Amino acid sequence: MIRPRWTAGRAAAVLLMAAVWIASGVAAYLYLGAHRTMLAGDAEKPTEARLRQGPISHLPGTLYLVQGGTLYRLERGSFSPVLNAPGGASRWTQPVFTPNGQSLVVVRRDYASSDLYLVDTSGHNLNPLTHNASRTVEANHWAFYPRLAPDGSSLFFSYDRKDPSNFYNVVLSVYAMPMSAGTSFNQAKKWTAPTSFTGGDIQPVPLPSGAVIYTKYSFDNKTNKILSQIYLTPRAGAQGKALTAIEDGCLQPALSPDGQRLAMICTGGKQFASLEIAHFDGSNLGPAQVLASGQLAAQPTWSPDGTGLVYLAPQGLHGHFQLWLQPVPPPAPLASTAPTPSSTRGSQAARSTPTAPPTPTTAPSPLPQPIQLTSDLDFDATSTIAWHA
Amino acid sequence: MLALFFVGLLTSGLAGAAAYFLPVVVAAYAQTGQARPAAPAPGQASPVPAAAPAGGSAFTVLLMGSDDDTKFAQGVYLTQSMILIRIDPAARHVTMLSIPRDLYVPWSTGGRGKIDEVHQHGDAASVATVERNFNIHIDEWAWVGLKGLVKLIDLMGGVDLTTGNPVLDDFYPADLESTNPYSYKRVAVLPGPQHLDGIHALEYVRSRHGDIQEDFGRSQRQQQVLLALRTKARNVNAADLPGIVASFHDEFKTSFNLTDFGRLRSLLSLASQISDPSQIEQIVLVPPYTGSDVINGADVVTPNWSLIRPLVQQKFT
Repeated sequence: MIRPRWTAGRAAAVLLMAAVWIASGVAAYLYLGAHRTMLAGDAEKPTEARLRQGPISHLPGTLYLVQGGTLYRLERGSFSPVLNAPGGASRWTQPVFTPNGQSLVVVRRDYASSDLYLVDTSGHNLNPLTHNASRTVEANHWAFYPRLAPDGSSLFFSYDRKDPSNFYNVVLSVYAMPMSAGTSFNQAKKWTAPTSFTGGDIQPVPLPSGAVIYTKYSFDNKTNKILSQIYLTPRAGAQGKALTAIEDGCLQPALSPDGQRLAMICTGGKQFASLEIAHFDGSNLGPAQVLASGQLAAQPTWSPDGTGLVYLAPQGLHGHFQLWLQPVPPPAPLASTAPTPSSTRGSQAARSTPTAPPTPTTAPSPLPQPIQLTSDLDFDATSTIAWHA
Repeated sequence: MLALFFVGLLTSGLAGAAAYFLPVVVAAYAQTGQARPAAPAPGQASPVPAAAPAGGSAFTVLLMGSDDDTKFAQGVYLTQSMILIRIDPAARHVTMLSIPRDLYVPWSTGGRGKIDEVHQHGDAASVATVERNFNIHIDEWAWVGLKGLVKLIDLMGGVDLTTGNPVLDDFYPADLESTNPYSYKRVAVLPGPQHLDGIHALEYVRSRHGDIQEDFGRSQRQQQVLLALRTKARNVNAADLPGIVASFHDEFKTSFNLTDFGRLRSLLSLASQISDPSQIEQIVLVPPYTGSDVINGADVVTPNWSLIRPLVQQKFT
């Protein structure tokens, strides 16, 4: 029997082989670890985004958006933080310009309440307009969706007045309070009567006429769902009138700078959200035209010149809501002929109105595709976008 | 010598992979392949018998979700959510039916009560109760606790969905943030398209005080989040499994056997194939399928079996 001889060379070969084996095992482990789907990837900070060369740099004026509770200003393709997230559960959200463009009203959302603040466009001189916090959990209040009257005299918002007959009925109503110095919430007036246990009335858009467009939630017996409608109310306490049909599930109204077109998001109570516009004559809404579909579109906001809308929508399965731009063709000359062929849906409410909505005389040209302006940023899609020239 | 080297190389590579998937294997033994319910007791209605389903044939799953905080003894939980899901890989169709938690039914363990309470007698008791009352066969079941759901949604990077209406609740349980399981907090989930992380998605599916439809509205929201999770699941691959399993620590049990590759493959394949909302049917047992009553001082939902059973037979067999 010949016994193998352990030479130095053979020992080195065995050691080398063992090292390769160990490396192979570790490599297999690391390879698998590196091939996990990055489902929970963090969003990029807007300030780190390299956007200066992209189409976003051509947006006119100044925009304000929210990511992770921080309010950012966007100018010439560059983001800068204006109000940093206060920390903990607190976050800034829903900025809106005052009519003169020199200040913002913004919501500070805390653990159990939210308040409205007036702040200059640089994030300084922060002044609270409401005081909704309480030590007792259920005595706190929410204030959301601030919007100033076109003349700047009143501040409209949604607020949850307590229902003394049923503490579980937490529901938002549209309120308005004067914006003059020294005013407080005590002078606020309730404008709408929400339907109990639906979430209520939100997203007020005050008009120059003194009327207010808003989103109302109601229970739809046909679908057994709570659905949203765009409503119009002429004055505080008056019964509102539906501008869209309940089955259309429209929300987030945005009036064009000329006041003649209303952009909105319509879901039909389903898991999609299309961006639509319709002619608005001050009291009725014409047939809706779908501008962007197949996305979860949110927060349509008109450009100051009315030639486009920005909105938020996810860029894909990873779910970060990005900023998109949808160019909007100018309204065609109006006539009282047949409905426009490009209108996909005229709401029941619009159809039932006695005055036929004005319609274009010619077939509209195909709509330009929406342009994705950002990527890997995760904007808060429940926060409005503010845009001023 | 060369052969030895390559065999060793292969073995060490496999060992590395095995180490990576070790948590999955451990979980497969601990959390999957749980017992199926026993046969019905004499004198009780027998569910529809089912042939052993192959990987490509339709099958029914009962999903159960529980509030598993310290209000309850370990392992003795109510089922706040019960969703029957019929998966038909061949037809590429999914049907989801939410069972009201307060549905007043005879229990498989004897007696009568709300269907969510029978889970205190174990998973099998819940499965058997559903089978006997709805007269169907359940092929598989899965149970998840609150924290498990939150962790899973966070691991998937959150969910994107269109929340239907403002969900406002001044008395929402703060049991995940407080040592007092009876503490409460305010929640406000604003409406519209948005991205929800685990804790906010839980608020959306769990709140019921401010909903005109109460538990029915909540059931609709639960189905929404489940479908949003399915969308995210399209991107999951095998390398994600250890992370997912780790997130479910003690918060997940299922009768699914991870070695049943045929069914798992058909499930994953189906998740990627279904993109049209019309392929998913969502059912909530609102009136006239159910009514309401007060029994022994408790508000309950009463079943209208003459309407429910034909519906279930049509959709789930």
